[in-house]
Amino acid sequence: MEEALLRAVLFGTPLLLASLGALLGERSGVVNLGVEGIMALAALAAFAVALWASPPLGLLAGVGVGVLGGVFLGFFAVTLRANQFVAGLAVAALGLGASGLLGKRYEGVPLEHPLPEGGLALLALLLALGLHHLLYRTRFGLHLRSVGENPRAADLFGVSVDGVRYGALALGGGLIGLAGAYLSLAYRPSWTDGMTAGLGWVAVALVILAAWEPLRAVLGAYLFGLLFFLQFRLQGSLPIPSEAFAAMPYLLVILVLALSGRARAPKALGQPFERGR
Amino acid sequence: MRRWVPFLLAALGLALAQGEKLKACFIYVGPVGDAGWTYAHDLGRKKAEAALPWLETRYVESVPEAQALPVIERFVREGCKVIFATSFGYGEAVLEAAKKYPDVLFAHATGVRRAPNVATYMADFYQVYYLNGLAAGALSRTGKVGYVAAYPIPEVKRHINAFALGVRAVNPKAQVLVRWINAWYDPAKAREATEALLAQGADVFAFTEDSPTVIQTAARKGAYAFGHYTPMLKFAPDHVVSGQIVHWEVIYTDFLKKVKEGVYTAKNLENVDYFWLLKQGAVEMGADYGVPINPKHVPLLQKARMSVGGRQVAVYDRILALLKDMSGPNPSFDPFTGPIRDRKGVVRIPAGRKATLQELLTLEWAAPGVVGDWPGEPR
Repeated sequence: MEEALLRAVLFGTPLLLASLGALLGERSGVVNLGVEGIMALAALAAFAVALWASPPLGLLAGVGVGVLGGVFLGFFAVTLRANQFVAGLAVAALGLGASGLLGKRYEGVPLEHPLPEGGLALLALLLALGLHHLLYRTRFGLHLRSVGENPRAADLFGVSVDGVRYGALALGGGLIGLAGAYLSLAYRPSWTDGMTAGLGWVAVALVILAAWEPLRAVLGAYLFGLLFFLQFRLQGSLPIPSEAFAAMPYLLVILVLALSGRARAPKALGQPFERGR
Repeated sequence: MRRWVPFLLAALGLALAQGEKLKACFIYVGPVGDAGWTYAHDLGRKKAEAALPWLETRYVESVPEAQALPVIERFVREGCKVIFATSFGYGEAVLEAAKKYPDVLFAHATGVRRAPNVATYMADFYQVYYLNGLAAGALSRTGKVGYVAAYPIPEVKRHINAFALGVRAVNPKAQVLVRWINAWYDPAKAREATEALLAQGADVFAFTEDSPTVIQTAARKGAYAFGHYTPMLKFAPDHVVSGQIVHWEVIYTDFLKKVKEGVYTAKNLENVDYFWLLKQGAVEMGADYGVPINPKHVPLLQKARMSVGGRQVAVYDRILALLKDMSGPNPSFDPFTGPIRDRKGVVRIPAGRKATLQELLTLEWAAPGVVGDWPGEPR
């Protein structure tokens, strides 16, 4: 049982970080479907810098690439007012492709000194609490939420809609980058093409299931981590085929989060903002 | 005008020289760069190209099974004479393309269906798995050996069974705990499946997944592991004991040479099936190239004893002796030699005979000692 709880937290951590990152952008009204790609690119950057310099610097590099990824998405979604879904998918594809292309020389290379998973898991939990505080207890949080709910009103009150959205995407990108760095510097610890293996998409789904609430994202990510581990722990001891077991984490997380409260998206989610329209 | 003649001749010569090259093209199911299946095929392609000066190769990576036919058609347009399809799932597309392009030679890895211009080939690990099983049986203190398995298909089942037969030959009470991840490549599943097995007491690991994740995870808890597919010693130098290593270039070079010499044509491949083993050098037992057993673990394996025909021998000696035998021109030993019963007690291979190739290729039963879900297990 202890083992299962430990796995819940350690495997839940990258999901938590990535969903917190997506959540932040979405509370400001920008859908982030680029998570998988940003995570992949950040994982590569983190790993490369860890080899050249050191794992802590690698962690910073991962966060940095995440921030850039968020700003990149912002350029299309905020400045150019492109369709956010299309822009996000493009970022996801671009990040995956670029990491595969640039990462060839890092495959099959071991990382001598991985970062401790436990410390990063604790950091992720603190970040979730911090994000909750940021959203509900700070001025920036108030602006962020109002921009996500009613950008026109926020604009009238003198809040820079574009500025807040860029800020949220950059900060969120940093968290997504941290998720990628966790994968390649602590969880694996090595790099291969496609190593995010859909975790970014799970994180995107978790944001919706968690009803855009950081603390519910903690619950969702850990629950997913727990069930993901249990599918293997229980396989063979119950007369259930392994394929059915594999679906269990997804189904149960949806069920639990669906039952624990109604999800309401930020009203302006997915809508580009243009002054005077 | 005359000034151009040498250039024209040179160009013509170049064109002719080009024309003499045999163009072989490869379709890969995954990205080349990983440490697994596709990487190994690409290594084989490169080595074949280096060994055969008249060979020209090309490849397309990460081709989903549904996209195989368009890629094959592109290859044909580009003048590929030989096309290697390196995934089981390409089977349908290969047979369809083979009908459409009767002059092109196809070879389908892990395939089971052939045609006049379609051969099948496989570098198989079952002998190596048995030898690694012997080492695993000797190294396990808990008597629980973990196996993180990809898909429940005959190939993977054959390997798990060979491994389990080896484990049991040393420790008749040992269990091989199997967990299916239903993926060829998924580091997160490989990690959590390994964690689950560690939590259940497994202290030695083997696996079928295209990343070093199982090894890295096992090493964190001090457990032993066997590398898979490519040398993985570097990922855990103190914990990797040995492993299965493939040499696709051995098959590629042989096949292409025979095409070049005219032995293989687009009309006589119906019966060409490579199922190459240690004897042909298509596979190797090792923690790294040329390192059958990690020197760090040799003393332990020398100390461990097992009973062979009523005689006590060192496990290390047994492994080396069998490795030598099966690598030689006339192997006398085969892991699937009867009598072998499955874990339910049904006789699968009668006493005194070896499993036939057909039996090996369609194997569905589970060996004694295998514990866990086993989809498709015969009643």
